Amino acid sequence: MKKIFIALLFLGTLASCTQDFESANQNPYQISDELLQQDFNLVGSPFSGMLYELFGNQDSQIEEDLNWDSWMGYMNCPTPFKSNVNNTTYYIQWNTFWGREYGNVMSPSKQVIQLAKTNNVPLFATWAKLIRILSISKVTAIYGPVIYSKYGSTENSIKYDKESDLYNTFFSQLDSIQSDFNAHKDYDGFVKFDPSYKGNIRAWMKVVNSVRLRLAMRLSNVAPDLAKIQGEKALIDPAGLIATNDDNFKISLLGRIMPVAMICFQWNDTRMGGVIESFMVGLKDGRISKYFSPVDSPSLYTDHPTVPYKGIRNGAYITAKSDRTSFSKASYDFNTVENRRAFTAAEVSFLKAEASLRGWAGAGDAKTNYENGVKLSFADWGASGVDAYLADNNSTPINYVDPKDAKNNFTSSSTITVAWNNGDNNELKLEKIITQKWLSAFTNALEAWVDFRRTGYPRIPHVANNQSNADWGVIAADQWIKRLPYTEAERIGNTAAVNEAVSSMGPGAKDNIATRLWWDTGTPNF
Amino acid sequence: MNKRVYLILFVFVASFTGVLAQVKVSGTVTDPEGITIPGVTVVELGTTNGTTTDVDGNYAVILSSASAVLQYSFVGLTSISEAINGRAIIDVKMAEEIMGIHEVVVTALGIKREKKMLTYASQQVSGTELRKAANGNFMEALSGRAAGIDIKTSNSGAGGSTKAVLRGNKSLVGLSEPLYVIDGIPMVNNKGSQPGSYGGNDGGDGLSQINPADIESLNILKGANASILYGSQGANGVILITTKKGKAGNTAVSVNSSTMFESVASLPDFQFDYGANNGSDYSWSTTKGNYQRNYIKDFFKVGVTEMNTVSISGGNDKTTVYFSYANTSAKGVMPTNTYQKHNFTLSQSTKFLNDKITISSNVMLANEVSNNRPGAGYFNNPLTGLYLVSRERDFAAYKTNFAIFNKDRNMDVMNWYTGDEKQNNPYWELYKDPKVAKTNRLIASLKASWDIATHLKLEVRGNIDYANKLNDKRYAAGGNPVSVSPNGTWSYSKYTDQSVYTDGILSYSTNFGDFSLNTILGTSFQQNTFNDGMSVDNGTISLMYPNFFSFENMPFNIMFNQSISKVMKQGVFANGQIGYKEKLFLDISARNDWASTLALTGNQSYLYPAVGLSAIISQMVDLPESISFVKLRASSSQTANEVPYNVVNPQNRIGGAGSPGGIGGISRNTQVPFTNLKPEVITSNEIGTEWRFLQGRAGMEFTYYSDVSTNQFLTLSAPSGSGYTYYYVNAGKITNKGFELTIDTEPIKTTHFEWKSSLNLSQNKNKIIELIKSNPDYQVGAEDEGFISIIKSGGSFNDLYIYKFARNEAGQIILDANGEPTKAAAKVKVGNLNPDLLIGWNNTFTYKDFYSSVLVNAKIGGIAFSKTEAFLDSYGVSKRSGDARANSTIPINAVQGSTSVTSIDPVKYYRKIGDRNGIMEPYVYSRTNVRLAQLVIGYNLDVRKLGLPIKQASFSLIGRNLFFFFKEAPFDPEQSMSTDNSNQSNDVFGVPNTRTYGFNLKVKF
Repeated sequence: MKKIFIALLFLGTLASCTQDFESANQNPYQISDELLQQDFNLVGSPFSGMLYELFGNQDSQIEEDLNWDSWMGYMNCPTPFKSNVNNTTYYIQWNTFWGREYGNVMSPSKQVIQLAKTNNVPLFATWAKLIRILSISKVTAIYGPVIYSKYGSTENSIKYDKESDLYNTFFSQLDSIQSDFNAHKDYDGFVKFDPSYKGNIRAWMKVVNSVRLRLAMRLSNVAPDLAKIQGEKALIDPAGLIATNDDNFKISLLGRIMPVAMICFQWNDTRMGGVIESFMVGLKDGRISKYFSPVDSPSLYTDHPTVPYKGIRNGAYITAKSDRTSFSKASYDFNTVENRRAFTAAEVSFLKAEASLRGWAGAGDAKTNYENGVKLSFADWGASGVDAYLADNNSTPINYVDPKDAKNNFTSSSTITVAWNNGDNNELKLEKIITQKWLSAFTNALEAWVDFRRTGYPRIPHVANNQSNADWGVIAADQWIKRLPYTEAERIGNTAAVNEAVSSMGPGAKDNIATRLWWDTGTPNF
Repeated sequence: MNKRVYLILFVFVASFTGVLAQVKVSGTVTDPEGITIPGVTVVELGTTNGTTTDVDGNYAVILSSASAVLQYSFVGLTSISEAINGRAIIDVKMAEEIMGIHEVVVTALGIKREKKMLTYASQQVSGTELRKAANGNFMEALSGRAAGIDIKTSNSGAGGSTKAVLRGNKSLVGLSEPLYVIDGIPMVNNKGSQPGSYGGNDGGDGLSQINPADIESLNILKGANASILYGSQGANGVILITTKKGKAGNTAVSVNSSTMFESVASLPDFQFDYGANNGSDYSWSTTKGNYQRNYIKDFFKVGVTEMNTVSISGGNDKTTVYFSYANTSAKGVMPTNTYQKHNFTLSQSTKFLNDKITISSNVMLANEVSNNRPGAGYFNNPLTGLYLVSRERDFAAYKTNFAIFNKDRNMDVMNWYTGDEKQNNPYWELYKDPKVAKTNRLIASLKASWDIATHLKLEVRGNIDYANKLNDKRYAAGGNPVSVSPNGTWSYSKYTDQSVYTDGILSYSTNFGDFSLNTILGTSFQQNTFNDGMSVDNGTISLMYPNFFSFENMPFNIMFNQSISKVMKQGVFANGQIGYKEKLFLDISARNDWASTLALTGNQSYLYPAVGLSAIISQMVDLPESISFVKLRASSSQTANEVPYNVVNPQNRIGGAGSPGGIGGISRNTQVPFTNLKPEVITSNEIGTEWRFLQGRAGMEFTYYSDVSTNQFLTLSAPSGSGYTYYYVNAGKITNKGFELTIDTEPIKTTHFEWKSSLNLSQNKNKIIELIKSNPDYQVGAEDEGFISIIKSGGSFNDLYIYKFARNEAGQIILDANGEPTKAAAKVKVGNLNPDLLIGWNNTFTYKDFYSSVLVNAKIGGIAFSKTEAFLDSYGVSKRSGDARANSTIPINAVQGSTSVTSIDPVKYYRKIGDRNGIMEPYVYSRTNVRLAQLVIGYNLDVRKLGLPIKQASFSLIGRNLFFFFKEAPFDPEQSMSTDNSNQSNDVFGVPNTRTYGFNLKVKF
């Protein structure tokens, strides 16, 4: 009996403790909120990541390069992805920017806003809210109605904000953000978490005004009164706008490579755009060598033998990747840059130039703003010859020649020159402003796509190879892509809200790439 | 935990008080092959005094007189009477009355039971059978030898991984692979990463390190009913490995040597007549040229695998020892692929204190080194460039000068004509991108058993299974820039997998009246710590200095990742088996687990039961003489599976390396907290019957099972607006139903000639009844380059969806304005990748000293598909594309606008349908294949005539996968590029299928 007892005792001791279970199930290579409390890292530490995620960096190829970078003619891929039936030729194969912003900006910022409250550092919540506007103002420029005011709701179906409501929400939130910042101009809590401005609140206040101006201008045609009110508010706010290149809002790449360099030099999947070649070569733009690399073989640029650059047509006919990998790469400088432009003084200056045309108070003189924008851009990129460039009233964009396939050739529809002429009508002046704004926005192309849809400028060619069909919407031969459809996850998982959002885009609107966004009125600019 | 085991053992020994000095008789009962038999009734003749043998066949009985007679009886065996004649120890051998009825099998936890008592299906395969064809991997050898197990081997050659599934896929996120157990103790089978469409190499698994020579037998417990005592980890069935032990008596030395050759059995059909126009990547010229044509065939080598094993076994009454050493050395069919393995095994068993305590230990050591184990997929795979190279190119020159000096860099770079992301110069890939995988493995166990009293026994075991793994892949600077940085790429990982297991089992067996009782009560503790280590991979971010692969050479913006996955589990279990008159057996089990991965949920403790009944009908009713034995059995069980590590309450991660001057940000965990997580539950029911005919010369065993898996652990993307990014749910219902049938016969049995034949047949039907009730469209499985293997409600596991042609109602392919075929708007299901029916037919013949073994394997049904073929077509290098060009047309039933089209230009057609994301419809094949899996012809030398100190010697010729009786797919669907769930029966530039042939020499001293 004693032995049996010993045996049972043994079994009893073997089946012992489960109190280690909780710690055993924790991954020691994850960092807890408790550890992050040290040095007050908890609330601020997600910010550099959230700022970084304002661009499609890691998946830039499918989020930027093959979308608006291609559509706006800055870059185009030599690779016939998916048999060349893809986003560049207007058949949607990739649609992930939505998920990036909701997953990597909206979701962590929700926690940050809560943490800022519980840790009594409310200005971090203000900052997070500004980053949310930066993020969702991009998302809405791609999709139209978006989830914003109902974000984080526990309801089964989370409703979308229709665009007119959304912009009003943005503007009123910018009011309160600016007033929070204004009350704490010397706050130094952001310093170590802010790769953009090293925690300078005054610099962020300029971002607030500049974003307000950018968003106001989007509404210039659809809601001119609201646009004017908000635009003027931005122009006269004492905190000022992003006015010099030192003020430029740049996003740290956090030690990663600039996406365009990765896609271009490592993957050989992107090259100079044929559209920007037509403009930069034609207008003798000194920034061309800052944006792109010359090509080796003179046989590629016999159409302009003194300017050794060659791009690929937007939405080109492509059969083999190797046909065009010898075309102009991006500038080698992109291999070593540490940050990228999110909002430049040049863009602000062009916004002000347009505001002057529209008669907004505080905008100043259109010519001055226009020329200042060009000068700021040349200086920002380190390009020379800006004075001669601004004085050139002769040169116009050239026709494009694809040395590999004449099907991709196009005749330039733009006859714009650079030099400002006060005698031009407003429409022509606007075309100049937007054309130069577009030329200055290399590597930050989304707003250029907004301007193009809003104003029709710059005058770029249609895609050569239009593969759009009923699956994602047909883009007529005289038209360009208007938006991206909602993601499959939302279409399937949030159907009612998506349907409501789509119907808010107008009678008979469809969730496809041919539906115009709210501010894309298709009507004259003046 | 191990410390505790030793302490307790010490207590046992110290507290041992000895046995009362009594006169008694004891002994062991074995069958003619020396295997011990439990449950034998031992009765003093003419009295009711008696006992039964314990699980190890031992008995002890106190008798009334020294002249008594003991009678040993057991169903199916001829009873024996032995007069004591003053002996204290009487060992008896009992002969079989009817062949095949009495069989002692090893069941869960290493407990031996008589097969007839079992209430569930199990199938035993002897080590001799497994070794017949000199397989280096015992699981590869098992294919076709047991019903109900689907085994796929990686085509990555020696040391590659295998995938085995018993009774269908049950878990959506797990691999549904069985638990592997060595001598009762679970072993680690942590699979390395697997190649996908984009590339990669087989990371191997835990099975290749086992030396097949050490295996005495394998027993396959097919369902959860059999494996409940292992708890959740046995839910997918168990492969029990019983290792060889030393035997008392003369020292036996056995030497085995095999040499096997492997050669490519078939390649895709290529064309070598047409090159490319104007330096294009695509060989679509229509002008024939005189080009090189043998470089693909010549690329592959004849592989050689040499295995040499020596084992020594011996011992005396008290101590037995077994030692083995094996050396495996292999060269694959891919140049530069080599494999080396050393195995050491030492096991011993010693009896103490009047044989009341037995301490046994077993140590297995393995060292494996694989160089350049082949992979699959697009990137850094020599086969893409080899197959796709434009035909007009001078391949021989590229072969000789795979590297060329680059003046600008003052170093060699790859010499290849295209920047195609898929292609490398094949020889650059072979010689400049070395890949090494090393594994050091230790499995050590200690077991103590104590015969506490006549019917009561305590067994305590401890085991550590430790593997240290290194994966080091170096890609030279100047390679393909899509996947290799300008200064080279280093992918390095080093980690350990460790499992500590201890258990204690108290067993009690007795007889009372007509009833017999076998009970066990046990407890176990297990801690698995997997992937404990670090990894770094600079990808396409440049190293600081070219071609120098060290941590110091990593730029600041590379993250060094640490990983770990840890599961602790405790269990308490009990099993009772009541027998009535040796004809009716009731088996009841229960187990409670506590799992660390469910901590904080309130569900960390969970209980599950099993019950089974078996009836020996032939003992109850009179049957015709030709029917010797009939048994019916039924059982029902439930098992529960813990959830993965660290999903209940994960923390935040460091998001990146940070900028040069700054710190990396924090990526906050955005998972919905999941504190109501529950274990997955699998309910299994099975019924079966076993028959023996004609004194056992023929037999059959049939099982029907029905399993339901519920509470599946699923990851879902959270809705965009929810505030989170993903969440977990317990949901879903998956059923697996099927049958297993084994028929064995001995059609011919004469003095000189014997033919034994056995047929294994099984079928599994998998159905996904429901995943997420509220979201019927929810699916598991992501788009992968033109195909998707989907799990969604209404379908079954591994349904394949691809794009077909767009067709009009008349079935005509719709051509677009350019006259190119168009693809349908959505992917459609074209079939399921798993076969409908598995058949293995195994025959052995002996004629005098000759013997032969023939194994035919068949998998019927299911589909397979080849992206390789799609690429060969679009690049214009397939024979098909060449033939079509010669005819300048492909017949097609198509329509353009409203005009019917009957002929299409081959370029238009193949460029459109092939390549990365084309129309996969023409590349889907039937998986059905029937092969001569194994042919062995051997000769047993008559050693007595030789006058040498040799006891036995045999020589055999072996062939494996020699040919197909039937196969439709252009590759071998059973040699797979990947052994994980996706990419089943798929080929993306995998190693072509091979056949193996060679010889084996075995000598026993």
